Amino acid sequence: MDLQRTYSETNQIPDLLIALRFVFGQCALQALDLVDQRSVTCLSSPSGRKAFQVLGGSGRLLYTCFTSCHYCPCPAFSFSVLRRNESLMCKHLLAACLSQAMGLCQQEQVSDQKMTHILSGQTGAST
Amino acid sequence: MADILGVVFRRFASGTVTSDVIFPPDAEANTLVLGDVNISRSVLFLAAVTAATDLGLKVLFFTQTPFQSLPSNTFFFMHVHLQNVKLVYVKTLEELVEDIASLHELASPPSLIIVDGLDHYLHRSRVRPLQDDLSPVAHVAALLHDTAAFLSQILQNRADGQGLCRVMVSFQSECEGSRDSEALAPELLLCVLDRYLQVSGGGICQSCVLRWYSSGTWCCWQEVLWSSGSFHTKNGITNLPWLVVHKFNTFGLTFRIKNT
Repeated sequence: MDLQRTYSETNQIPDLLIALRFVFGQCALQALDLVDQRSVTCLSSPSGRKAFQVLGGSGRLLYTCFTSCHYCPCPAFSFSVLRRNESLMCKHLLAACLSQAMGLCQQEQVSDQKMTHILSGQTGAST
Repeated sequence: MADILGVVFRRFASGTVTSDVIFPPDAEANTLVLGDVNISRSVLFLAAVTAATDLGLKVLFFTQTPFQSLPSNTFFFMHVHLQNVKLVYVKTLEELVEDIASLHELASPPSLIIVDGLDHYLHRSRVRPLQDDLSPVAHVAALLHDTAAFLSQILQNRADGQGLCRVMVSFQSECEGSRDSEALAPELLLCVLDRYLQVSGGGICQSCVLRWYSSGTWCCWQEVLWSSGSFHTKNGITNLPWLVVHKFNTFGLTFRIKNT
């Protein structure tokens, strides 16, 4: 919320960068790189269902993240967040949150059937 | 889920249940049912039928195994509102995930999503989970959460005002015959389920834990604990553990309050 408000008012987030780095560590910088590259797409379908797709750092894999809870199919999320509980998010999830707050998501409309395939992990780099 | 399960317990209770026991109206939606697979299955089915009949909810019930017999208490429900309960038989985790992912396409969404035996789906996944990979269980749990959140928005926007989509999952933490050296520890799986279904802690969620005890030759006592939920009485808030009695000779379930 702070980030969204600050960015909408000043178009900059200099002070919040320090906080992001403190909370998320190296993941923050990696996430900001993804934001800069406009790697996050908000998918919408006619039913109203939405999801985020994040293009990985290598530029080859797409990770589908949900809008209502923290989930990412990447190995880093599975290991660092779920298993070791060392991190709050992976870089893909953080990039999705940052992009959404700053209004930097790309927008894409897909059919309901395509959305089903994406949510079930049949496309992209899901499980 | 406290309101739905509360109706189940009250309807099928025997003995000392008093009619002035009421349940928190704003209880959190989701419930995780642990313990004996047969008891869990019966409780899930009673919850489905009760939700459809008493609360007028539309229910989707996902299970691997078709019902060969039903708890005898439910026979009088059969001709009432069972059409609001849709049984969906899916064999694999992949099919389960796809069906849940497609719920947003329905013109008339469910208000209650029940998944019977999630542990069996995870253990029999076509894509065998790698050792130490929690992604499959996280994916299905997060998808359930996200789907329920989306369907709740849809239901809230409708005129009938039934604005909550709930999730109820049964999970047997010790899956007989399928535990091997490469399987993930049940505690890890439960932690992931708890992360997304949010069934414990916070004072507003509850877990339904069925524990198996052997007693006598004709009935076995099961204990149902509300770990963080509570039942309201006229005199205030009281935590009341329940006992589930499973009478094997009639395959019926009755519930009774445990005297403490």
